[in-house]
Amino acid sequence: MPDVHSLVNEFVVKLKKRKVEGSKACAKLTAELLRSFISQQRLPQRNESGALIEAVKSVGEELIAANPVELAVGNVVRRVLHIIREENLSLTTAAVGGLSLPAESDDEDDVHDDYPALSATMVAAAARSALRPPSLQTLLEDVPNTIAVPYTPSSGGDSERKKQMYIFLLSYCMVFHNQLRAMIQIAADKNSVTRKLKHNVIEAVNELIQEISTCHEQIAEQAVEHIHQNEVIMTLGSSRTVTEFLCAAKEKKRSFRVFVAEGSPRYQGHALAKELATRGLQTTVITDSAVFAMISRVNMVIVGAHAVMANGGVIAPVGLNMVALAAQRHAIPFVVLAGIHKLCPLYPHKPEVLLNELKSPSELLDFGEFSDCLDFGSGSGSPLLHVVNPAFDYVPPNLVSLFITDIGGHNPSYMHQLMNEYYSADDLVVRGKSAS
Amino acid sequence: MWHRSASFIIDRLAQNENVTNPDSRPLSSASTVMAADNPNPQVSLYYQTRAAHHGVVTSDWLAQAQSAVGHHHDDSLSDNYASSGEEDKKISVVDEFNNWRQQPDLAEAVAAIRALSSVIRSSQATTMMELEIELKRASDSLKAWDTTSISLTAGCDLFMRYVTRTSALEYEDFGSAKSRLIERAEKFGEISYTARKIIAMLSQDFIFDGCTILVHGFSRVVLEVLRTAAQTKKLFRVFCTEGRPDRTGLRLSNELAKLNVPVKLLIDSAVAYSMDDIDMVFVGADGVVESGGIINMMGTYQIALVAKSMNKPVYVAAESYKFARMYPLDQKDMVPALRPIDFGVPIPSKVEVETSARDYTPPQYLTLLFTDLGVLTPSVVSDELIQLYL
Repeated sequence: MPDVHSLVNEFVVKLKKRKVEGSKACAKLTAELLRSFISQQRLPQRNESGALIEAVKSVGEELIAANPVELAVGNVVRRVLHIIREENLSLTTAAVGGLSLPAESDDEDDVHDDYPALSATMVAAAARSALRPPSLQTLLEDVPNTIAVPYTPSSGGDSERKKQMYIFLLSYCMVFHNQLRAMIQIAADKNSVTRKLKHNVIEAVNELIQEISTCHEQIAEQAVEHIHQNEVIMTLGSSRTVTEFLCAAKEKKRSFRVFVAEGSPRYQGHALAKELATRGLQTTVITDSAVFAMISRVNMVIVGAHAVMANGGVIAPVGLNMVALAAQRHAIPFVVLAGIHKLCPLYPHKPEVLLNELKSPSELLDFGEFSDCLDFGSGSGSPLLHVVNPAFDYVPPNLVSLFITDIGGHNPSYMHQLMNEYYSADDLVVRGKSAS
Repeated sequence: MWHRSASFIIDRLAQNENVTNPDSRPLSSASTVMAADNPNPQVSLYYQTRAAHHGVVTSDWLAQAQSAVGHHHDDSLSDNYASSGEEDKKISVVDEFNNWRQQPDLAEAVAAIRALSSVIRSSQATTMMELEIELKRASDSLKAWDTTSISLTAGCDLFMRYVTRTSALEYEDFGSAKSRLIERAEKFGEISYTARKIIAMLSQDFIFDGCTILVHGFSRVVLEVLRTAAQTKKLFRVFCTEGRPDRTGLRLSNELAKLNVPVKLLIDSAVAYSMDDIDMVFVGADGVVESGGIINMMGTYQIALVAKSMNKPVYVAAESYKFARMYPLDQKDMVPALRPIDFGVPIPSKVEVETSARDYTPPQYLTLLFTDLGVLTPSVVSDELIQLYL
């Protein structure tokens, strides 16, 4: 236990000091940390999933608070919470669903045989609906809050009534009733279910880590469908995903040209241009200010993203909003490459302020030259020259033509569907119980 | 929709003919159906009720409307419900609905579902199928009573959908199924109330300190949103449009002044003039249609157009049971909902007045919809509807 806490603290410190850079690295480290945390958790006998969820929430809150701009951390925490809920649900439905099989095979008296099967499926459906996002279908229904629904006495009550009415099915009902009781006992048996839950969750988290690690390859596989012969592609700054994407297309013998905007103040575009040139691609370097001038010669803009919000908006490195506007002006497709771990279920209320980070002004101006203007000691006590260096831009969804993720290409209005698959509605606000 | 003729002179001639000979006009089938069931075909009951809630109608208009209702009530009802032995039941559904609707705090769909639950309660059916047929008949008569109210139609459809889906599956005994349906129908009132709370909670993040909000129309959901924001001590101010002819702005500004929120009243024409100072537009909805657009009080489309051209976000707060399976292609593609306008001075009879009470705002002018199903973009609405009705 103590070493897990020290691991958590170490990671929190790293996040605060911005030692970990890049959403993929953050996501992977978070997932690995949560995996060790879960494997070391000791769970109580009843309501294991609830306890596990609370524990992960409290750790998650700490991690998110350490670097709120790094949305990938929060995304991974929410993915893990969703995994826990799903695994718990599949375990409970497996326990109850096993009962419906003997009922369906017996077709002597269909109407009445349906009842034990139906009560089991009804109960499983009720538990499943607890995990589904709220929808018009379930608006009038009474959705139970906990997944303890399978163990309500109603299913026992139905079979009790049947026993009285149908004597020739009496023995069968007794068997069914006993089976139900036995199942409940097995399910309530602390050891097997707890172990199973943890085991399943850790397996699923391993899959998640695998998915995060291979996201670049998955995206790069789709390069050939989008980049055609003799095309001109534009990008800004440098993104690992974009590099792999372009190189994969080159491998498949597509010949195309790339315009790289240098991406001040860090000038990472220079490094990207050098790499592309060594791999054999015809590259042109331009300044950020020249984007509007050169965009008419371009067929497609391909960029990476820092995070994708629930409305389809993109948090991207600074300068990309300008490129998106230029692309829209000239009716050029603006394609964003993003792994699923970058998909955030929150809506951007004020992204320019809340989801932005101001980096060091020394990247812009050399302090030695400007020391007299930036000096706090001179004159009225506050300098006349301010330097602002935001790290991110918000690109609204109407400017984005296509998202290419590791599961395929989607348009911005589809992003919310993916939310329902990967995240649960209860986890939008990650807050540990001690805080409330 | 077929009235769109460039030659309005021919239209007017045809209209005069219609006044003298009401049977000869095949194209106005919608309005004649409405006339059969509705005591006063020139007034949409839905908007009449809403206006009554606001309490700023002039007294002579009210007297006029009441006399019109009283005069036609007995005739039309006895003409319609000539079916065998079920006259009382049908009349009582509509009466029950009207009773519930009069309460100012109750949502339209809740009133409809309560009325339908009273049908279940008084029903003599012994099987689920019979009950469903009765409910269908009751729901059809409710819909025919007021064809202009979208929440009513959507609420009835939602309840019918719920009844047909849950009936066969869960319960062996008809009596327990019936009581379960009644219980869920009663609970729906609470669901509607919690829906407003959820919407208020979801929209809190979008109201930031120092923002200016433009509100149009008197929506109880939007009022709840603003009330919650005021109670959490957010600093913001509200611009209310006057909302002619219902004067919804006056009512809303009263409510907001009670909450100590700084309010400024604008006449409807001053919206574009003030749009520079505005950070966001908040409206409710009478109905949300399949395209993701909304149907709301007259003037909403205008405001959305201005906001879009100045890049201001337009947020809609609507409960999910207002989603309706309509797809209007333009402004005239809906059942006309007319509402008399009192100009205060007599108008010569040759002068026409546009009396429609509502307009349709297409989805491209809306930014986000706050519903109890979550924060949705307009393209999600059709997904939800497909899931329900498929």
